[in-house]
Amino acid sequence: MKIGIIISLFLLAFIAVPLISLFGASDLLSSQKSTIAEMWNSTYFRRVVFFSIWQAFLSTVLSISVAILVARAFTRLPRFPFRHLILSLFGLPLVVPAVVAVLGIVSVYGKQGWLPLGENLYGLTGILIAHCFFNIPLAVRLLIPTWDTVPEQHWRLASQLQFSSWQQWKHIEWPALRENIPSIALLIFMLCLTSFAVVLTLGGGPRSTTLEVAIYQSLRFDFEPTQAVILALLQLVICLTVALLATRFSKLPDVEPNLNSHQNINQVQQSLGDKITQPLFIIFATVFVVSPLLAMFIDAINGPMLEVLTDGKIWKATAFSLFIGLVAASLSLFIAWFLLNASAEASIKNKPILSQSMLLSGSIIFVVPPLVIGTGLFILLSNYVNVFDWAIGIVILINGLMGLPFIIRTLGPAIRQHKMQYNKLSTSLGFNAWERFKHIDFPLLRKPIGLSAALVATIAIGDLGVIALFGSPETTTLPLLLYQRLASYQIPQAAVTAAFLLAISLCLFWLLEKVIGGKHAEH
Amino acid sequence: MLSIKQLEFSFPKSKSVANKNDANFNTLFNVDVNAGEILSVIGPSGSGKTTLLNLIAGFIQPSAGQILIDNNDISGLAIAKRPVTSVFQENNLFPHLDVFTNIAIGIEPSLKLNESQKQQIFAALENVELTNLEKRLPKALSGGQRQRVALARALVRKHSVLLLDEPLAALGPAMREEIIDLLKQLVEAEKMHALLISHQPEDALKASTRTAFINQGKVLKIDNTKRLLKHSDLTEIKNYLGEA
Repeated sequence: MKIGIIISLFLLAFIAVPLISLFGASDLLSSQKSTIAEMWNSTYFRRVVFFSIWQAFLSTVLSISVAILVARAFTRLPRFPFRHLILSLFGLPLVVPAVVAVLGIVSVYGKQGWLPLGENLYGLTGILIAHCFFNIPLAVRLLIPTWDTVPEQHWRLASQLQFSSWQQWKHIEWPALRENIPSIALLIFMLCLTSFAVVLTLGGGPRSTTLEVAIYQSLRFDFEPTQAVILALLQLVICLTVALLATRFSKLPDVEPNLNSHQNINQVQQSLGDKITQPLFIIFATVFVVSPLLAMFIDAINGPMLEVLTDGKIWKATAFSLFIGLVAASLSLFIAWFLLNASAEASIKNKPILSQSMLLSGSIIFVVPPLVIGTGLFILLSNYVNVFDWAIGIVILINGLMGLPFIIRTLGPAIRQHKMQYNKLSTSLGFNAWERFKHIDFPLLRKPIGLSAALVATIAIGDLGVIALFGSPETTTLPLLLYQRLASYQIPQAAVTAAFLLAISLCLFWLLEKVIGGKHAEH
Repeated sequence: MLSIKQLEFSFPKSKSVANKNDANFNTLFNVDVNAGEILSVIGPSGSGKTTLLNLIAGFIQPSAGQILIDNNDISGLAIAKRPVTSVFQENNLFPHLDVFTNIAIGIEPSLKLNESQKQQIFAALENVELTNLEKRLPKALSGGQRQRVALARALVRKHSVLLLDEPLAALGPAMREEIIDLLKQLVEAEKMHALLISHQPEDALKASTRTAFINQGKVLKIDNTKRLLKHSDLTEIKNYLGEA
């Protein structure tokens, strides 16, 4: 348990030190009050704050509303053709790098796209489409298991009592959903509030800038650390408020939810309207999710594939990206393993507060945007070293720690269960730590370990947050290279790069999940 | 009379949708239940008791056979069209609706009730001895009170078949006896045909004059409850009762 406490303290320090450095740099407590007042009175600042919250709110409402309709359709049509495949595709946005999705969205909805949306996609429209692309499938996957929480007797009663579709919704489905919706909505709100790559690439200018992007611009282009600090602190306050709200709802969404259908829903009455609209909802959502990826691949096939793939830059960036992804995943798993084991042990020894505190220390990084930590580290380290020389190390560290909340959700429950079942037996057999890991822990836990590694590595490989702050021509990753090509309007080259990045991400996910997770690993 | 004739059901080869506790074998049921009678159904776990009730309610479809109520075959009817009300072991009530609404929903799902329907609900509440509790939510009721509400709903539905799938399982001994007394009274007064699944032979003794013993998907014996439980020569029944 001691090692768990040490890791918890390290994690807290890793968040606290950059924040203290931010406070120090901002000089908020003494002379810079005029700066704050000046910023507060500036139209730009107010617009940034308002827009950050407004776009996150709209994205959340849109994503959740559509997701409810689609999830309901999925649960009512358990034999819909390719249901399993479609739901697997809905897991893709979790591992598709944001900047890749943006390119696909531009290919579909841009001026030259398949379905042009007016004159200008850039701005709020583009941001909302991209956020819906990521969050509708996520919300659908998180909402579907809610239908399974309805006792089968209620469906049977509904069929005996001749409930109409509306009455089923009112008396059975909504009461179950309303328990889960707040936590899912807050998760999506937080993801949209801290969304960086989407806003950076689709924002289209100061009118559509969020706090996250404004922090980046303050540091990278305006060289205004004080402004960055104030923005970062404001972002932190908003995130903490959302996180505090989220603690009111005990039900946390699962990273890998159970998507099997509830057979008994089939027996309840379905109106003609339901029978017509439900397949349409599924088809619409599938087209919405698949079309950007398809468009991007078509653009890549028609693009200068040979030119891009024979360029040394892409291979150097690939090597950097793979290195970052794999090391970040290893680091994340290593830390999570000790933390989760210590937390489970504390729980078994009836120390629930200690157990929960350890989990909290691993999850708290979720509410502190990586760019805020990055900014703090940037300011702290720039006093002593050339920050850009340390870029890879910092990016790995931040990405690794950003993966912890995911691992806590995927691996945490399995470790706890495993510990409760086998702890006494393993201890009584006198295994040492390595023997125990090799013969007991790993074989029984390899599936969630594989999923955790795959998730963290893929998210790290596609990250354009911290690397955008610390990256240099010598340390360019694939997402950064893609962003540079997009920013310089090399769209055909960007399409090939995006397809390549997506292919690498998916291969890595599949490989890690299969190799570590073993033959029983499933998506 | 409710007559189950040669009712067959074949379990799918994969996961059973009928009841996860049931084993994979084919069932064949022949049972008669008189109006005003509670027929107890006993048997080992996975013997097919719940499958029998699911077939009558229409939750699963038989591969052959008939379900006759006063000589009318209902086996082809949709669930909602069958004159059947089910009471389960748990989850009979919608947790967000109060007692009154949980009963009302059994008469009219739109909850647009006329005065006479409201009176019926109050009368049913009185019958199950829950007067003045109509505004309570299910979470504020005891296990026995919740089952009484479910019975009140069965009363207002006025359907002739009542299927009781272990409704006593979660109750203590005193409460079981109370609910059994109430059941007997209601079934007799409303001339319902009731089937009661129970894991406790004592419940069958108290509730039913006749009891059916089911094993491996077949009704092995229907007899006077006391005779079946105390004097049966069948090895399966002795095994079930732990006497073999």
